[in-house]
Amino acid sequence: MLRRSMPRVMRALLVAGAFGCAAIGPVYAASDTMVALVPPGPHPYFATWKQGGADAAKAFGLKAADFKVPQQWQLSEQNELLESLLAQGYNGFVIFPGDPVGSVSTVSEMVSNGAPVVTAGGCLKDPSDAAFCLATDTGNSAYLGTKQLIRAMGPGKKRILHLTGFLADPNTQLRIDAVEKAATESGDQVVQVIADIDAPEPAAEKVNAYLAAHANDVDGIISTAWVPSVVAANALRKIGDKRIHMVAIDTDQVVLQAIKDGYVDGTMIQNPYGQAYIGAYAVDKLRSGCQVKADAPFKSNALTKKFIDSGTAFVDAHDVDSYVQTMQDKTKQLLSTFATTYLTCK
Amino acid sequence: MSKQSLLRLAQADWFGPLVVTLAAIAIIRGFSPDFLSPYNIQTLLIALAINALIAFSQMIIIAIGQMNLSVGAIGGLAAIAFAGMMQVWHLPVALAAILSLLIGIFCGALNGALISATGISAFVITLATLAIYKGINLGITQAQPFYGIAASVKHFGNAALFGLIPMLAVPTAIIAVALWFLLTRLPIGRFILAVGGNEHAASLSGISVRSVVILAHAISGFLAACAGMLLVARLQLGQPSIGDDWLILSFAAPVIGGAVLSGGHVSVVTTLLGVAMVALITQALVVFSIDPFLVQVVLGLLILAAVGINRLRETHLIARRA
Repeated sequence: MLRRSMPRVMRALLVAGAFGCAAIGPVYAASDTMVALVPPGPHPYFATWKQGGADAAKAFGLKAADFKVPQQWQLSEQNELLESLLAQGYNGFVIFPGDPVGSVSTVSEMVSNGAPVVTAGGCLKDPSDAAFCLATDTGNSAYLGTKQLIRAMGPGKKRILHLTGFLADPNTQLRIDAVEKAATESGDQVVQVIADIDAPEPAAEKVNAYLAAHANDVDGIISTAWVPSVVAANALRKIGDKRIHMVAIDTDQVVLQAIKDGYVDGTMIQNPYGQAYIGAYAVDKLRSGCQVKADAPFKSNALTKKFIDSGTAFVDAHDVDSYVQTMQDKTKQLLSTFATTYLTCK
Repeated sequence: MSKQSLLRLAQADWFGPLVVTLAAIAIIRGFSPDFLSPYNIQTLLIALAINALIAFSQMIIIAIGQMNLSVGAIGGLAAIAFAGMMQVWHLPVALAAILSLLIGIFCGALNGALISATGISAFVITLATLAIYKGINLGITQAQPFYGIAASVKHFGNAALFGLIPMLAVPTAIIAVALWFLLTRLPIGRFILAVGGNEHAASLSGISVRSVVILAHAISGFLAACAGMLLVARLQLGQPSIGDDWLILSFAAPVIGGAVLSGGHVSVVTTLLGVAMVALITQALVVFSIDPFLVQVVLGLLILAAVGINRLRETHLIARRA
C-alpha cells in the first residue's frame, strides 16, 4: 500500500519542535484520554494535524490523539463521523467545524457526553459548548497579506484579484471583508472575488479563465485559500508573467517553489501543527479537571468571544526555507503560558 | 444552401447544441475581446479535454439506462494511484499510467459485475462503491497530495501543439473518435444502445445483457481513470480531492446534449457540445465578474436556458414534421 510521507526535513523539524514544546509544557495527563482530531473534509491544510496529534499523544502521555477525516467536505459526514468516534470511545475532540452554526448541536452532544471539544482552524458561532477556538485570525491574516501585496505592487492605484475558498467556510466572508478593507485603506480596488474554488478542478478552470481574459486588468493577486494559491502560482509560472504580483496562503510545495523562483512574492503561513498539538493538550487538560478561566484574555472575532490566535506570519523569498521554525517558535511561545493564561487547574 | 438542406441540418441532434455553443461564443467574445486569445482558447480546450472524458464516462452508462455515481471516485482513485506510484514506488510513467488505467477498468467492471450479479440498481451499487473507492483514496493519501510527479507528465500537462492546442486535448480527441466509432460502427456499440433501449428485447435477441453491462461499466471506469490522470498532468500534483466535483458535470453535459436518461440514445458529438456549453457558461461567469454568492444560481439558470432552447427546437421540428 502506498504511504504518504512528509518531507524528511520538515518531519524532523516538527518532531524536534514537539520535544521542545514538551519540555516547556507541564506533563500530567489522564492516561485514558483519546482525542480525535477531525477536519471538515480532506484538505492539504490539515497535513500537519496528524503529526501534531501524534506528537501531543507522545509528549503528554495520551492514550491516543488520532487524525480522522470525513470522506467529503460536508457537514452531515463530519457530524456522523463525530458521533461514530464518540461511540468508539474517543473522549475528547479537536474539530474544525463544518459549519459555524450547523455544528453547534453536534458539539453540544459531544460535551454532554463528557467529551470536551476545542475548535481549531475555524470557530463556532457563539453561544456554543466548545471550550474555545484556536485558529488563525483569518481576517487579520488576509488583511496583512493584502498589505504585503500592496507594498509589492508599488505606488499608484492598483487592481487586485482575490481568490478564496468555500463560501460555506466560516472564514471566507471574513477574508473577503479583510481584503476589501486593506485595499480601500490604500486607495486600491478589488476588481474581482473568485470564490468556491478550494478544489482542483474549479480552481484551475476559473483562475486560468480569468487570467486569460483579464491578465492585463489586474496588478496583483491575493489568494486566501490553499488550492487557488497552488493553481494561481502555476498559472503565473505558465504565462511567465512577473508583472502581476501575488501573495498566497499556506505552504504547498508548489507555492514555496514559486516564491523561490520569483513568480509569487510571498505567502501567509498558518500554524495547523500548533493547532493540533495545543488543541490535543488542552482537551487532555480539560479532561483532567482543568477549567477554562472565566477571565481568560481571549480575543474576539466575528463568530466567537473565546478566540485564541494560533499565529500567522508573512514569508517571502528570504525566509521561505525557515517557515517551519517560525511556526514552531509560535507554538512554543503559545504553549509555554497556555495553561496559566487560559486554564484553572486543581 | 437550399432550404431543404438547412431543414435537414436543423433536424440533426447536434444542430441545436452547436448553435447555442456558437451563440455563446459570439456573445462572450462581444463583451470580452480577450475571450478568443490564444491563452484562453488553450484554457478552454484543456477544460474541454478533461470534462469531456468525465462526461463520456457517465454517457456510456446512461446509454445502458443506468447511472454511475462513482465516476469521480474512480477518477480520483486512478489519479492518486498514478501520482503515488510515481512518487512512492518511482515507477516509470508508462507503467504507472497502465496500472492506473487498469485500476479504473477494474473498479468499473466491479460495478458492472455487482449490478449484474445482484440485480440491485446501479444507483445503490455505485453509491456504495463511491464510498469504498473514495475511502481507499483517503486511506492511501491520508488526505494529502502527492507532489512527486514525473517531469515528463508535468511537461505534457503544459505543452501545446503549434502553440495553441494543448497536448491534453490529444488523448481526448482520440478517445472521442474511438467512442463514436464504437457506438455507431461496432456491434458492441449497438448492443450497448440496445440494452439501454429495451433490456428485455435485447436479451431475447441473444445479447448477453450481463456482459454488456460489465463492459459498459469497465469502459466508464477507463474513461474516468483517463480524466483523473490528465488532471494530474494539468495540476502537476495528485490531489486526493480530484473527482469530488465531477458528478453534476458528468450528468449535465450528456443531458444538455440530448441524452435520454432512460437509455438507448446518446451521442458523442452532442455530449461534447454539452461539455463546451458548460465550460463556456463557467468562463462567462468569471469573465463577467458575477457575484461569487450568485454564481451557482446563474450557472443553473443558464444550463436550464441551454436545455430549454434545445428542447424548443426539437418541439418545433416535430410540429413541422406533423
